[in-house]
Amino acid sequence: MGHAQKATEFNKDEAKVNWHDKALWYVREKRDKSAHNVQGWEYLRQLGSGIKANVLSNLDEYLIQFETNAKNNGIQVHWASNAEEHNTIINSILEKHNAKKVVKSKSMLTEECHLNPFLESKGIEVVDTDLGERIVQLAEEPPSHIVLPAIHKTKEDVDVLFQEHLDTKPSGGNPEYLVGEARKHLRDKFLNADVAITGVNFAVADTGGVVVCTNEGNADMGVHLAKAHIACMGIEKIIPQEKHLGVFLRLLARSATGQPITTYSSHFNKAEEGKEMHIVIVDNGRTEQLSREDFRASLHCIRCGACMNTCPIYRRSGGHSYDYTIPGPIGSILSPGKDLKKHSSLPFASTLCGSCSNVCPVKINIHEQLYKWRQIIVQEEKQPIVKKSILKTAGVVLSKPKLYKMAGKSARFALKHAPRFMIYNKLNAWGKARDLPEVKHESFDEWYKKRRKNE
Amino acid sequence: MSREAILNAVKKNKPEVLPLPEIDVSVFQEDIDVVKTFKDNLALVGGQVFEITTDAIDAKIKEQYPNKSTIVTTTTKSNLGNVEIDKNTDPHTLEHIDLAIVQGELGVSENGAIWITANNSLVRALPFITNDLVIILDKRNICLHMLEAYDNIAKRDRDFGVFISGPSKTADIEQCLVVGAHGAMSLTVLLV
Repeated sequence: MGHAQKATEFNKDEAKVNWHDKALWYVREKRDKSAHNVQGWEYLRQLGSGIKANVLSNLDEYLIQFETNAKNNGIQVHWASNAEEHNTIINSILEKHNAKKVVKSKSMLTEECHLNPFLESKGIEVVDTDLGERIVQLAEEPPSHIVLPAIHKTKEDVDVLFQEHLDTKPSGGNPEYLVGEARKHLRDKFLNADVAITGVNFAVADTGGVVVCTNEGNADMGVHLAKAHIACMGIEKIIPQEKHLGVFLRLLARSATGQPITTYSSHFNKAEEGKEMHIVIVDNGRTEQLSREDFRASLHCIRCGACMNTCPIYRRSGGHSYDYTIPGPIGSILSPGKDLKKHSSLPFASTLCGSCSNVCPVKINIHEQLYKWRQIIVQEEKQPIVKKSILKTAGVVLSKPKLYKMAGKSARFALKHAPRFMIYNKLNAWGKARDLPEVKHESFDEWYKKRRKNE
Repeated sequence: MSREAILNAVKKNKPEVLPLPEIDVSVFQEDIDVVKTFKDNLALVGGQVFEITTDAIDAKIKEQYPNKSTIVTTTTKSNLGNVEIDKNTDPHTLEHIDLAIVQGELGVSENGAIWITANNSLVRALPFITNDLVIILDKRNICLHMLEAYDNIAKRDRDFGVFISGPSKTADIEQCLVVGAHGAMSLTVLLV
């Protein structure tokens, strides 16, 4: 099923779609307000983009430097070419500690590698501790947004889920009550966990340390109570120097939620005495993306989710319609590189309005890359016959001004006078669930000429 | 070996070296009252802040948190602690700590964040596992923005450190902001 079909499913509940749309737009507005408060915001974005471009151009050296410095601090560094290796490495660390209970804070990488089902098959309990992630874990669903994993759920949905799994009382979806119950439930998990797994927001080459950002404090509750910490990172998480955190931490939370910074920005450089710290560095298709000149800038991404919040398609189709770990505009340029056939509908799930590129804190040219993927996809993947013949006809008509004028005239005539079933049918995607705008009597060209004459 | 495979693939696929941008911090320079902006931003992120004198610290804490029975203090500036901890304390035993009082190293005006190290909290888990948190901060140690903050903490012994900006919070249920997710339910900052 392609994006459009899945989006149709999501659109069945109109009230929910409207809420989703508005809620995310509100986050986008908070982002704007927050960004405009920063002196030199555009320069910050430029720096973020420039630093990331430098990182990719020297990534092997930075990775080696990072590894050396981390090892000097007693951190054990592991390398995984793919998801399978990543999961196996983590399992072997857990085995060494005889760990049966694992708490995990947000990590899109472990989602990407499907770590949870793998560990569960080995008899290990894995608990996602970010509240949104815990909600979708209980619902047995993937996150639908990288920063707001449960944005597709109503508070009533959460109420029912918690009644079933946490034995809560019906509260009609009272957020304070539900968060309080989740706090108790997860506190118990933190206190009894053997090992904590976290993602990595930034890995600093010149110190060998990693930074993890949360609002809830779940990464820290997990790590500081467990006897071992495993941090999982994609190779592109590297930044050259610690001072560059001063650029990225200023950009990240403002772009994500409009906060000036996340509540906790935790800097892990060494394990606490008597404990262990591991870092797993993962490729899983990233070096391949690095080879694609047109698409490598997608590896700049710092996972803020701003492109999702602003995207008119994402807001009205929901994260699950993308059927990929990272949904939305950024996911639509990452996913075809992983599996062109499976994700071939995603670069078309865009109006190419460019809003994603405008809000991206590291200036990824997302909409241009979407357009480039489209060009590759129409060459390599079979396109629906309707789309193909319409575009072919459009190509001919647009290249001949006389024909174009005539086509316009007859279209205006037809739209005015043809019976409804001829206009609103399967062939006209623009007429789904809405009426076309009123048809004007004349074309823009005619209107313009008349206006000039009257001047 | 995956290490070699990854590094070789990067070497093969990376673009030509692009320069690392120099950061011109003068672009971010603002002539503002950093203490006032710090206080405004801390309020914005859900924290409380009071500017007081050193001798009024304990009275202020008692006034703000009158009914706390288990209190850990890791700074000599307060005498309210009644649970002793040291570097070797098992963090699990801090499960029922009502209030922790710690010294902050550095405040950041642009976002109300305060830098706290493992040295300040003795046990890393303390500022997170405590029910409520009080941070004492010297107002002369407030800088303008994060770039300045990293300059200030550049020469430290790196083990663990955290910027804390406000109390723990979540908006994961229908975007309703709820304070007190997993970390401290409230944060009070005393500027001295």
